[in-house]
Amino acid sequence: MAVAVETLRAHHTLWGDAFIRLRRNRLAVAGVIVIILLTLGAIIQPLFSPYGFAKQDLYSILQGPSRAHPLGTDELGRDVFTRLMAGCRTSLAVGIFTQVIVVLIGLPIGAFAASMGGRVDNLLMRFVDVMYAFPDILLIILLRSIFGGSIYMIFLAIGLVAWVNVSRLTRGQILSLKERDFVTAARAMGARGIYTTLRHLLPHALGPIIVAVTFNVPRAIFAEAALSYIGIGVKPPTPSWGTMIRDGYDLIFAAPYLVTFPALAIGILMLSFTFLGDGLRDALDPRLRR
Amino acid sequence: MSALLEVRNLSTYFYTQDGVIKAVDGVSYEVARGETIALVGESGCGKTVSGLSILRLIPEPPGKIVSGEIIFDGVNLLELSKDDMREIRGAKISMIFQEPMTSLNPVLTVGRQISEALETHLRMGRQEAHQEAVRLLELVGIPHPERRAKDYPHHFSGGMRQRVGIAMAISCHPQLIIADEPTTALDVTIQAQLLELLRSITKELGTALILITHNLGIVARYARRVYVMYAGRIVEHGPAVAVYHDARHPYTVGLLTSVPRLDEERKTRLVPIEGQPPDLLYPPQGCPFYPRCSHAGTCELEEGKELVEVAPGHYSACWVAQRGLTPWKWTSS
Amino acid sequence: MLKYLIRRILWLVPVLLAVAFITFGLMHLVPGGPWDREKQLAPQIVENLNRKYGLDKPFFIQFRDFLWNALRGDLGVSYSYQDRGVTQILLTGLPKTATLGVAAFLLAIIVGIPLGMAAALRQNSAVDYFSVFFSTLFASIPGFVLGILLVLLLSVALHLLPTGGWGSPKQLVMPTVALAALPAAYIARITRASMLEVMRQDYVRTARAKGLFENVVLVRHILRNALIPVITIAGPELAGLVTGSFIIESLFSIPGIGRLFVQGVFARDYGLIMGAILFYAVAVAVVNLAVDISYAVIDPRIRYD
Repeated sequence: MAVAVETLRAHHTLWGDAFIRLRRNRLAVAGVIVIILLTLGAIIQPLFSPYGFAKQDLYSILQGPSRAHPLGTDELGRDVFTRLMAGCRTSLAVGIFTQVIVVLIGLPIGAFAASMGGRVDNLLMRFVDVMYAFPDILLIILLRSIFGGSIYMIFLAIGLVAWVNVSRLTRGQILSLKERDFVTAARAMGARGIYTTLRHLLPHALGPIIVAVTFNVPRAIFAEAALSYIGIGVKPPTPSWGTMIRDGYDLIFAAPYLVTFPALAIGILMLSFTFLGDGLRDALDPRLRR
Repeated sequence: MSALLEVRNLSTYFYTQDGVIKAVDGVSYEVARGETIALVGESGCGKTVSGLSILRLIPEPPGKIVSGEIIFDGVNLLELSKDDMREIRGAKISMIFQEPMTSLNPVLTVGRQISEALETHLRMGRQEAHQEAVRLLELVGIPHPERRAKDYPHHFSGGMRQRVGIAMAISCHPQLIIADEPTTALDVTIQAQLLELLRSITKELGTALILITHNLGIVARYARRVYVMYAGRIVEHGPAVAVYHDARHPYTVGLLTSVPRLDEERKTRLVPIEGQPPDLLYPPQGCPFYPRCSHAGTCELEEGKELVEVAPGHYSACWVAQRGLTPWKWTSS
Repeated sequence: MLKYLIRRILWLVPVLLAVAFITFGLMHLVPGGPWDREKQLAPQIVENLNRKYGLDKPFFIQFRDFLWNALRGDLGVSYSYQDRGVTQILLTGLPKTATLGVAAFLLAIIVGIPLGMAAALRQNSAVDYFSVFFSTLFASIPGFVLGILLVLLLSVALHLLPTGGWGSPKQLVMPTVALAALPAAYIARITRASMLEVMRQDYVRTARAKGLFENVVLVRHILRNALIPVITIAGPELAGLVTGSFIIESLFSIPGIGRLFVQGVFARDYGLIMGAILFYAVAVAVVNLAVDISYAVIDPRIRYD
C-alpha cells in the first residue's frame, strides 16, 4: 500500500519568511552591514575625533594619509576622515528624510487616487505624468535655487520631485487590492470583514512600496551629492561628500585622495542600499515563497 | 520488411537537484512504414519524453538519453553527429506539438514558419518556398491561404494553429511524424476534424505516425497498434482492436473504464483509478502499477517487468495476465 | 499602430505645455531677479531693464508670449549673454550633448546586448559570472562616481587621458564610458534574463524540431523575441542617458547644454533655464516615443489597436 508522507513545514508569517530569505542573500546582508557601520561611524566618529570637521589647521594643509590623519588633510588643513564621516551624516539624513517626505506625500496621493477612482484618479495621474516628463535632477536644482536656505530645504526639494513613483505604485497596489474577489465577498458579508482581510493583504501590498523607497534612498543621496558638487547644495561649513569632491577636484593631481574617498563613499553607500533593495525585492516576492 | 523505426530499450533520465527522474525506463516499440501506432498513458508517464528522445530534443542538462538504441531506416540515431541529426529533423522525422498557443513563434508570419523548413531541407528559394507554404496551408484546410500566410500566429485560433503545425510537419515529406497529443488542448469538435485531417494526409503521403495521447477513445479508430505506458515503461501493447476489446493489463482496463460512455446508464458511476502515479524519483521495483491495482491480491511485487505475449501479437507485463487470467470484466461492444 | 502613435504624439503637447508652465512659474518664484549682480543696480535701472525685456508684464502674458515665440523657434533672450538668443546659445551646446548622448547610447548597446547574450548561451560559465558581476556592480554605481574613478585611474595615475574638455576623441572616452556604464549593465542584465526566458519557450523547441540551423534558431527565433523586453525595460534607461549627461558634462567640463543650464541657474537667466529644461523634456519625450515605436515595429502582436 502506498504510504503518503506528510512533510511538516514550519509555519512562517510573511515578514518572518521574508526576513529569513533576506538573511540568506549575502549581498543584501553585506549592504546592511555597511550601512550600519557607516551610520555608527557617522554618529560616533565626530564625537571622538580630535578634529572638528570645520577646524582648519593651516600648518598641516594637504597632507596625505598618516597616523595623525588617517585619510589626510585638505587644502585648509581639515581632517578628511572627520569630514568624510560628517558628510556621511548629511547623506544618511538626506536619504532618510527625503523618503519621509516622499512617503508622506506619495502614499496618500496614490491611495486617494485609487480609492476615489474616476475623474479624480484621472486628474491626479495626469499630473503624475507631467512630473514624469520633467528631467528630475533639473527640477530638483530649480527647486533648490528657489528655496535656498538650509539642508531641510534640500530635503524638501528632493522629496517634492521623488514622490511620484511611490504614488503611482501605491495607487497600483490599492487598485489591485480592490479588484480582488475577496473584497467583494467581504463586502457582501458585511463591511467588518474588509478590515480584517485588509490587515492580511496590506503587508503584501506594502512590499513593493518598501522596495521602491529603499531604491529611492541612493537616488536621493546622489541628488544631494550632485547639488553640492554643482555648488547649490548644503552650505559650508556643513560638510557634504559632493562639496568635498567639488573643492578637491582642482587638486586632483596633487592630492587625489581628496576626491577618491568621498567618491568611493558615495558609491559604496549607494551600492549598499541598492543591494539591500534587491534583497528586499526578492525576499518579499510572494511567488518565491516556499 | 524491417520496421521504419525501432526503439530498443530506451532510457531517458533527468538529473535534478532532488534526484534522478527515470522518465523513460527501458522502453521499446516499433513503427512500420506508413503505419500509425499510438502511445497511450496518463500525463507524466514518459510518452512525450520518449517522442522527444527520438528526435534528440531532450534538454541536455538536466536530461540525458542514458541507454538504448533508436534505429531509423537502419541507422542508429543516437550515434549520429549533431549536424546529421539536424538534417533528419523536420525532413525525415518531424513532430507536431501539444500546445498550439505556444508552439509557434509569435513574431514570424505563419507562411515564414512553414517556408523556413523548406528552404533549409529542400533548398528552395524564398519565392518557391512561399508558394509551397501557401499550397500546404490550403492542404490542411486553411481558407484564403495566400492572405493567411502573411498573418501572425495570434491571428489564428488554436485549431487553426495546429493545422499550421501539421503543415509544418508534412512540408518536407517526412517518413515519420510524431504527434504529441496534437488535439489535447482543443475542443472536441476540432479534435475530430484534426485527427481526420491527420489520418487522410498520412494515408495519402504514406507517412508513418506515432500518435501520443492519453485519450484511449481515439486510439481504436486511428491507430493500428497501441502501446500503453505507465511510469516510464510499456505495460501492454498489441493491435489496437485487441487491446481495446480484450485488455490484458489492469491499468489499461482502468483507463478504459474511467471514460464516460454515451451508451451507459446515467446512474453508472465513473470508476476512476485509485491513487496517484508513482513518483518517478523513486520508481517502484517490480510492477509499477501494483500500489493502485485492485487485482493485486494474487501477484507478487517483484513480478511484472517483462512483457510476455499473452495472445497473438499482444503483450502484457501483468503477472496475472501472463498466467492467462483476466479477473477484470471489461468487454466493449 | 498609426492611431496609437498619433495619440501618443498628441498627448505630448499638453504634457510639454504643462512642463513649460510649471517651469515658467517656478522660475518667477526664484528670489532675486535676472539683474542681481555683485553691485546692486539702481531701482530705476532695474525697472527700465524689466520694461525692456517685458518682465513687467503680467505673468500669463509673459507666458503666452514665450509660447508663441517658442513655437517659431525663438526661445527668447538670454539674460546673461546679452548678445545672443537662448536658441542660439543652446545650439552651441547641442552638438556636444548630442554627441555624448549618442556615443553613450551606442556603447551601452554594443556592450550590453552581446554580454547578456553570451551569458545566457553559456550559463554558469566564466562569461556568465562575469556578466552578472558586471551588471550588478555597474547598475548601482552612478556615472558621476564612475567618472571620478576613471579620471583618477586614467588621468591621474596613468596619464593616459585628459581630465576633460572637448574637442579631441580622447576627451570623449571617459565621459562616454561613465555615462554608458549604467545603461549597459542594465541592458546586459535584462538581455540575459530575457534570453533565458525565451530559450525555454515551446516555439524554440519547434524551431529545432524543424531541423533549422542553430544560428537561424538563435537569431530568428530566440533573439528577435528576447529583444522585445529589452527594449521595453531598458528603453527608459536610455532616456535616463539624457538627464544623466548633464552631471557628466559638469564633471568633465564639457560645454554642452547641461553646463549651460547650471550657468543659467546661477545667473538667474530665466531664458536659458527655460530653454534648457524644455530641451531636456523634449529630448526625453522623443526618446520614449522612439522606444515605443521600435517596440511596435519588433512585436507584431501590439501593432493593431
